[in-house]
Amino acid sequence: MADVHQDTRPASLVVSPAPHVTGSASSARLSWSVAFCLLPAAAWGVFLFGVPALGVLGVAVAASLAAELLAGLAARRVTIGDGSAIVTGLLVGMLMPPGVPLYVPAAASGFGIIVAKQSFGGLGRNWMNPALAGVVVALLSWSDGMSRWLPVRSAAPTVTAVPPLEALRNALTAGAPRGGALEMLRASGYPWSGMDSSVVGWVNTHVLSLFGWHLPGGCFDLLVGNISGTIGGTSVPLLLLGAALLLSRRVIRWQLPVTYLAIFCLAAQVFGGLPAGGGWFVGNMLFQVFSGGGLVLGAFFMATDPVTSPLTRTGQLAYGLCLGVLTFFLRTFGSLGDGVPLAILLGNCLSPLIDRFTRPAFPTQRKAAPG
Amino acid sequence: MSLLGIILTFTLVDNIVLSRLLGICPCVSAPSDMRGTAAAAAATSLLMSLSALAGWALQTFLLEPLGLGFLRTPVFVLCVACIAGFLDLLARRAAPRLLRAARVPLAGVVFNCAALGVVLIAARGGFSALESLAVGFAAGAGFFVVLSLLTAIRERLDVESVPEWLQGLPLHLISAGLLAFAFLAFDRAFLSRLLRGW
Amino acid sequence: MTRRPVFRDGVLRDNPVAVMLVGLCPAAAVTSRVIDAAWMSVGLFFVLLLTRLCQAILHALRAPDLSEPPAPGAPPQTSVFPLRPRWLGSLLLSSCFTAAFELILLAFAPSESASLGIYVPLLAVNCLVLERFQRSGPEDEPESPVRVIARSLREAAGLGAGFAICLVAISLVREILGSGTITLFAAGSFGGTIEVGGLSSVPVRALTYGGGGLLCLGYLAGFARLLGRRKRRSGATEAGRS
Repeated sequence: MADVHQDTRPASLVVSPAPHVTGSASSARLSWSVAFCLLPAAAWGVFLFGVPALGVLGVAVAASLAAELLAGLAARRVTIGDGSAIVTGLLVGMLMPPGVPLYVPAAASGFGIIVAKQSFGGLGRNWMNPALAGVVVALLSWSDGMSRWLPVRSAAPTVTAVPPLEALRNALTAGAPRGGALEMLRASGYPWSGMDSSVVGWVNTHVLSLFGWHLPGGCFDLLVGNISGTIGGTSVPLLLLGAALLLSRRVIRWQLPVTYLAIFCLAAQVFGGLPAGGGWFVGNMLFQVFSGGGLVLGAFFMATDPVTSPLTRTGQLAYGLCLGVLTFFLRTFGSLGDGVPLAILLGNCLSPLIDRFTRPAFPTQRKAAPG
Repeated sequence: MSLLGIILTFTLVDNIVLSRLLGICPCVSAPSDMRGTAAAAAATSLLMSLSALAGWALQTFLLEPLGLGFLRTPVFVLCVACIAGFLDLLARRAAPRLLRAARVPLAGVVFNCAALGVVLIAARGGFSALESLAVGFAAGAGFFVVLSLLTAIRERLDVESVPEWLQGLPLHLISAGLLAFAFLAFDRAFLSRLLRGW
Repeated sequence: MTRRPVFRDGVLRDNPVAVMLVGLCPAAAVTSRVIDAAWMSVGLFFVLLLTRLCQAILHALRAPDLSEPPAPGAPPQTSVFPLRPRWLGSLLLSSCFTAAFELILLAFAPSESASLGIYVPLLAVNCLVLERFQRSGPEDEPESPVRVIARSLREAAGLGAGFAICLVAISLVREILGSGTITLFAAGSFGGTIEVGGLSSVPVRALTYGGGGLLCLGYLAGFARLLGRRKRRSGATEAGRS
């Protein structure tokens, strides 16, 4: 298996001439392995939020497949077998909150497949990630539907469910006294689970007290992903597990996501405290990474999309840099979601330009005779 | 609004192409090589800055004192056309290679709505002279950003096999639309938080 | 020698928005409500018709500088100074008629004037752009002034109608999907807004933004090409013309 992928993606240089499709067999295997690696995090979302989450995922995948089938029939080239539509549908579902009305994932998948992908000729020719295009259109169109969060399984049903990042933003908007992220959440009465308080309490009294350290409440919930949020964006460990699988099978490479995460963490740590009235170097990058799986999901599963990211290694580093900076700005100051989908979407727009400046010059490729 | 605020507004938030939808035609149909793009965008940017300044001067010293507000459109159209004509004349003498790279006569820039649109936006916004200049410059910079992004995207589309009925301009327009959705990430709330904090 | 159906050409074969892809700015920008698109079309019709009428009259009066139609194959700029008198003349004509239309709009529909904003003055530029598609008459026989004027008017009316059809079509799609309403002229007990059942509570807001306009425009141009191909019209050219 692994050597097949090595054939299509040589380790030293990934420049290839324009049709980037690497043959249907290979691209289908790629899609299926991505879908498989997404499953643990999706299953965790279904476990946390129950039947509604399953419904959203199902509708997103079904709509995506239906759109792919329709567009394929219209173009007389049915490509439903390459599995990419399933990945798109799964990603759309995983980026939605569990309580979203079901027409939203359906419309988002349909828009992504038909407008962002099939209009450009299908897989390998789209310059924008279809799942992200669909999700962003949904964010723009149905902003209140896209913020219908559900409480996690263990929480009392009366708890108003808000993801930690959103709660932090609400506290900032309400003018709460400024401080570190977890302190502000505690001050605003964020409902951590009972398990969290017992685990953190046990660790504090039995382990950390020996060193004189103290963990704030919420660390356990954030670490295992026992928080409300998007369906796929809760559990960072399970997403990392899937990412590790992809990395070990060489479906994706580590340079781009690691650059992305490193730049984002650097920015969050150095400048993260400034907007909230703190000083330099007081941001909390661990909170930023673990407060929702969206960042990890985006970095490993969406930014690495081989079709919409730059080809050369230099280009990918530049891309990771842009994504990190954009995500930091959009997450800190933006108003739509957690900033990751929009940042990667803007990165998709930049990617052809980055390619333009980093690809080696072929003297024969000077002009492609446009209309 | 501060100068930085004006520049960010008209470059990212209220982009002349993606938000006001002016100057779409050159963005989706200009020559798709980077040199030409840069030359065309630089020329347009210069034209926009000068026209915005001239528009402010005309508005303040001619139209308002004489109560000729209803003649604003013809006066501005003529003003932009004359500035474009003189820039074209200048470019022919000083930088003929730039003009050839841009491949469109500079005066033809008037044919797209962008330059006149910027003058009108600046005049209606009630800006000062310096601010008008900044509006013109920022609009030109935003035009440059979008033009180069779209040129790179189009370069890629031109070598792919796309559905025949959408090939060429329709697909360029759809690309521009998707780009516009992505640029909605920079909204006014984003800008105000960025400039003033939470 | 056959007479070209200039009106029908303006609507179909040379449709300014869908086929020639010029004047895209208003087509994408003011089509988020049907009434905006309707007023914009009226404005273009008004300005284009009057500009062409004046030009034709000037031509009939043998004022060569102002009315000489562009040579078919000539590059757009030939003289040293790019602003030729003819060009300046049509610039003045269309911008003055645009200013007149602005005043009319301000007098009869002030709220509409506010919502159209800077796009009304930009009609002047749109009319100028359409001038590039002006056709010269048959070369082998001199035309009588009346014929010239009539042909100009038919041509202008065709272009204006083609523009109006496209704008209203795009605005219908964008407003029904994007807001779930159809905004028309208010008359009597009718408030001017029709709500489309089911969509008005959960509209696709994204279509009301600029990006939605660009998307609709792109698909409109694509569909126009499909239709044009189906009719086997060989003359309908597309890219690179604008």
